Amino acid sequence: MNKKLGVYICHCGGNISDYVDVEQVKKAIESEEGVFLAKTTMFACSDSSQKEMVEDIKKNELDGIVVASCSPKLHLLTFRAVAERANINKYNYVHANIREQSSWAHSDDKTGATEKAVFLVKAAISKARYAESLEPIKIKSKKAVAVIGGGVAGMRAAIELSDMGCPVTLIEREPFVGGRVSQFDILFTTYETGKDLVTRLYNNLLARNNISVYTGAEVIENSGSIGDFKLTIKITPRYIMDRCNEGRLQKAIDACPVEVPDPFNFNITNRKAIYHNFPSEYPHKPVIDIENCTRCGECEKICESVDFSQKEEIIDINVGSVLMATGFDPYTPKDGEFGFNQINNVVTLPQFKRILALSNEPLIYNTRAIKHIAYIYCVGSRQVEGENKYCSRYCCTSVIHASIMAKKKFGNIFNYHFNRGIRTYGKQEVLYNESLKSGDVYLQSYEDDPPVVTQQGNKIVVTVNDILTGKKQMAVEADLVVLVTGMVPRADNSVGSLFKLPKGRDNFFNEIHMKLRPVETVIDGITISGACQGPKNILESSNSALSAATKSFSYVSKGELELEPIVAEIDKNQCTWCGACAEACPFDAIKKIKDGDKEIAMVNNSVCKGCGMCLPVCPTDVINLIAYSNREIESMIDALAGS
Amino acid sequence: MATINPDFGAELKKYGAFDFNACYNCGNCTAICSLSTEEDSFPREMVRFSVLGSTSDIKSSLKPWLCYYCGECSTHCPQVANPAELIMSLRRWLTAEYDWTKLSGVLYRSFAFTIIAFIIAALGVIGFGFAENFNMETIMLFGHKFEMIAIIAVFGIILLPNVIRMWWFIILKPKIKVPFIKYLTGIWELIVHMFTQKRALGCDDNQFRWFEHFILVIGYLALLFTTVALDWFSTGNLFIIILGYVESIIIFIVTVDFVLSRIKKNREISKFSMPSDWMFVIWLFLMGLTAFIVRLFIDTGIIKNNIWMYMFHLIILVQWALIIVPFGKWTHFLYRSFAMYFAKLKAA
Ligand SMILES: Cc1cc2nc3c(=O)[nH]c(=O)nc-3n(C[C@H](O)[C@H](O)[C@H](O)COP(=O)(O)OP(=O)(O)OC[C@H]3O[C@@H](n4cnc5c(N)ncnc54)[C@H](O)[C@@H]3O)c2cc1C
Ligand code: SF4
Ligand code: SF4
Repeated sequence: MNKKLGVYICHCGGNISDYVDVEQVKKAIESEEGVFLAKTTMFACSDSSQKEMVEDIKKNELDGIVVASCSPKLHLLTFRAVAERANINKYNYVHANIREQSSWAHSDDKTGATEKAVFLVKAAISKARYAESLEPIKIKSKKAVAVIGGGVAGMRAAIELSDMGCPVTLIEREPFVGGRVSQFDILFTTYETGKDLVTRLYNNLLARNNISVYTGAEVIENSGSIGDFKLTIKITPRYIMDRCNEGRLQKAIDACPVEVPDPFNFNITNRKAIYHNFPSEYPHKPVIDIENCTRCGECEKICESVDFSQKEEIIDINVGSVLMATGFDPYTPKDGEFGFNQINNVVTLPQFKRILALSNEPLIYNTRAIKHIAYIYCVGSRQVEGENKYCSRYCCTSVIHASIMAKKKFGNIFNYHFNRGIRTYGKQEVLYNESLKSGDVYLQSYEDDPPVVTQQGNKIVVTVNDILTGKKQMAVEADLVVLVTGMVPRADNSVGSLFKLPKGRDNFFNEIHMKLRPVETVIDGITISGACQGPKNILESSNSALSAATKSFSYVSKGELELEPIVAEIDKNQCTWCGACAEACPFDAIKKIKDGDKEIAMVNNSVCKGCGMCLPVCPTDVINLIAYSNREIESMIDALAGS
Repeated sequence: MATINPDFGAELKKYGAFDFNACYNCGNCTAICSLSTEEDSFPREMVRFSVLGSTSDIKSSLKPWLCYYCGECSTHCPQVANPAELIMSLRRWLTAEYDWTKLSGVLYRSFAFTIIAFIIAALGVIGFGFAENFNMETIMLFGHKFEMIAIIAVFGIILLPNVIRMWWFIILKPKIKVPFIKYLTGIWELIVHMFTQKRALGCDDNQFRWFEHFILVIGYLALLFTTVALDWFSTGNLFIIILGYVESIIIFIVTVDFVLSRIKKNREISKFSMPSDWMFVIWLFLMGLTAFIVRLFIDTGIIKNNIWMYMFHLIILVQWALIIVPFGKWTHFLYRSFAMYFAKLKAA
């Protein structure tokens, strides 16, 4: 078919025409096969230009258009919409980027830039000649979302989704919901306790009947893709039917002979194998840590609810979208890092928060009365040498808040902050001010000259070459050294691999675009929120949870999804299944299927991104990328080669 | 290596400092200060030493004396940490540190003690008058002798040793080597600064205050000279009589302006006043005023029946000479000039 094409060459103000002679480009392509009209325009994206294009197409009954302007990243959708308004199929519009690829790249060579622009436009015209009309792929989308992780982010997202009318399955790996926040007593800026927040969120969850909460639950398998995820969940039992009678539980706990370090208190205390975190943890039921339980049966003798016959459960669920909210781990300092694990009374910030919550006046730790506290900032963050280049964001504020709390609760405390520049951004700055005014001492150093913690007899001495005092060496004799540890990704983040979620250089889950698509991942249908994406405080976690909830809902709300038709297609008659394409696909979109008694490769349209990685590896060359067919690409190469 | 002394802040607060802990070391104060130089950079550094409690650094430093309190730093401090007032209290603290008798510190820190000291001085004078049957002749003779003895004693017993202590803290203890000849050649610096305080002219927008201060210093020294050396109250020399009147009027006018500005708080320097600041200007004002009235009473011949007026003047004089001069704010006259002298020696 001989197509009638319209070609528009944009000045982009002067961005293009200052270096590319657009009139000459027009002349050079006017007589190309299929070109019915060619125009230059000051701004192709302007309203008036768009209108003119629509009129041209309608009046001249054009079959397709070529726009030669900026990057398609900017205006692809603009001109697709132009095509649709003119009632032609939007895939009959082809873009040539003569700004980033020509005028900007070759501003030192106007003739060359013009020549290259001519070739680029010719190539686009060639492609337009063979372009086919395409329809979006429509798939069913199950109106349900799985939220993985029951911290603030997960719970907040679940509530929001529920309110939008979307059934939610909340999957929490621990026996209790709440995540990290439940471990922290008084929180910065709002002065609520972690328990307050978790209680509020949990009561909200319970009040909604379209949310199912599973604790002790983990996704162990995933098949399917956007609109139709099939998840297998393993649920570990609590080994306790209901709450024992008040009083009995404590007796049962007392009777348990097993003692293990309590991760809820960051191992500064021990707990029994039968335990609960704090008197009102959620759900309101204790649990037996079966891995450490010796089955001695002591608790069973006291509490009638203990039930060792409970079995692990496996359930399958089907959802249209998955929202990740698996959170973070606090950084664990290496042995000897600022004396950690080597000098007594060197603890991490999370441990310090627990010490503050658990202690009563006077403050004593490891039998030592605590009066002088040294805080060493940025431990495990902002590493110039190490892996964690990032700032953990929460810690400056958190430690300053904790130090103020220590002063308020225990009085007569002297705080020394060994920092690398304070980052109490936004409204959190008031805390820094309060701390300064209360007489806390701030000492600063660079990463290449950190503070040094030494034990001198019974004393712990922290020294630093303070850059605020002309690098004078200053020393503090401290009773407690708090390492202000940052956030790192969860040690066990295998759930990410299950979904093939990409990680950033910092090893947290990665979004598509930090600014414009902050909660979407390259795996369609999976959103991320909270601290699993990178360091965030609660406000920021809630923010991202709400946007992830909205995004996830948008995948499932209509029960149906429209996807780009630009995907790979395999000629099933000629495919002989060698598996090379499946291996090459970065998105796991190709599966082996049976076709009669033959094995062939099949592309899952809802997963395929049309990247084209599979094409060159196919030994029989039977894969076609829709909208980038061999015919189209070859004709473009011919045009570029000038033949 | 210096050990941080977090208690120093509390100590300094007794000398009038406040909120300096709010400093976040932006350095605005140092940047705005028209007297700070690259070699002698302040006030941020002094704020820093105060926060850390590095008393040895403060004691060996002349910087508190290099500041003439234009207050620009306090105006521009984003943290309202009042660096200028901090430097002011460091001067008070240093005054107390230099003083071997330690009485300065006690007077600065305790208002009650100051009041008691003033009352004792007043009672002493009244007791003496009583013992002398309020005989005008003997009392005025005593007053004149007292002035001379007090000047010599206060200088020899208190101020000279204190200046030597200052020298020890600043030059000897930090082991700064100064060739002897410099001590001689630097004396000119000492004298110029003592009488002109010309460094204060370096403060932006401070010219008028410098002028007032200059006039006050000259007026005060001249009145001192006129009463002590020229025996103003007993002289018949018309020129001397008029000279004394003029000098006391000058003191009177300038101190009134200073008191008013402390009341109105219209200048950065007068925004915060410690009791020692009030006492200093008010007593100076009273000195001028009572001297003036006494001479007026003499000239009008009514002094014989109004010996109380001279008693009042004598009380003010005794309090001034025995409390404010040796232990109070008067010493800044001395330390400031010596600071410039020592700075010259250090630079050598
Ligand atoms: C010492 C300290 C003090 C802090 N203080 C404050 C403060 O005062 N104010 C403030 O705003 N912020 C504070 N923060 C930050 C706050 O803790 C985080 O913003 C918040 O916890 C992030 O919530 P989240 O839900 O993303 O992650 P998390 O709280 O980590 O929750 C994630 C949840 O996911 C679960 N999970 C993990 N993996 C899986 C899996 N594979 N399957 C199922 N479930 C899984 C976890 O068990 C957990 O329950 C503090 C942080 C620290 C370290
Ligand atoms: S928030 Fe503060 S302590 Fe934490 S990494 Fe950033 S700068 Fe360091
Ligand atoms: S301007 Fe204020 S905050 Fe800044 S360094 Fe000076 S005293 Fe500190």
